[in-house]
Amino acid sequence: MLDKEFNEEDVLTRAAQGDRDAFGLLYERYLDRIFNYVYYRTGNLHDAEDLTARVFQRAMNHIKNYTDRGVPFSAWLYRIAHNLVANWHRDRSRRQEIPINDVPVLPSKGDHPERNLVRSQEESTLLKLIRRLPPERQNLLILKFVENMSNAEIGKIMGRSEGAVKSLYHRTLLSLRDHIGDQHISLDND
Amino acid sequence: MNKLRTTLSDDQISALEAHLAGTLKPVTPPMEIVQRLRNRIHFPERQVIVLRLRDWQRMFLVFGGVMSGMLVMITVARAFFYLMRRHM
Repeated sequence: MLDKEFNEEDVLTRAAQGDRDAFGLLYERYLDRIFNYVYYRTGNLHDAEDLTARVFQRAMNHIKNYTDRGVPFSAWLYRIAHNLVANWHRDRSRRQEIPINDVPVLPSKGDHPERNLVRSQEESTLLKLIRRLPPERQNLLILKFVENMSNAEIGKIMGRSEGAVKSLYHRTLLSLRDHIGDQHISLDND
Repeated sequence: MNKLRTTLSDDQISALEAHLAGTLKPVTPPMEIVQRLRNRIHFPERQVIVLRLRDWQRMFLVFGGVMSGMLVMITVARAFFYLMRRHM
């Protein structure tokens, strides 16, 4: 779908009037982003699929309630996803650890296999550390690195100012650095 | 000493961001998942299912009405032929 053809305001109006095709366009546009967010918050494909479906079902059922008050539709969707993921974690709070076996760790081209192995181990360890962070810090990192969003965009989604996001990001990096030191992950730039 | 623990050098920030960028990569959902999700999203809502059930009940009533009407017509026709035969 070309962005030129996509007038989100118009599509949202039609979707709010019950036009399923219009909602389908929104679904196609945001599926990957919501799936990525849920996937990194849950750590497995099965739950990511289930929760992504629920996010869009809930959005479809409540789209009439969505009004653009400076909050983009994407932020509204992320908030739905955030709430569902929070409920999911609450329901599974008795579990000690979330499986992360199916999180892809892709080797970079031209890397030596041994180096790849070390890198994938480091990435796996880092993912575990990220999952131990408070939810809002996980959200911040996912939106920043997976979705490539700016602090201002993240602020709209998280309901914080750009400065507050920047500050939270700094504190998150500090926290990660301290934990990374305990996990023997190299912080050398090479 | 405490200050060192609560600050990050530019090198540390770059290294951490490089690690995070390498770890938190966008994932493309597998096609079968996209398809399954699409089917789930287009699954009719409860109200639609209720409406369809109502329609089904209506269809059942129409079908029952037609069958009853046909039975009445057959009965009347049989009675008519019976009476005609008696008169002949």
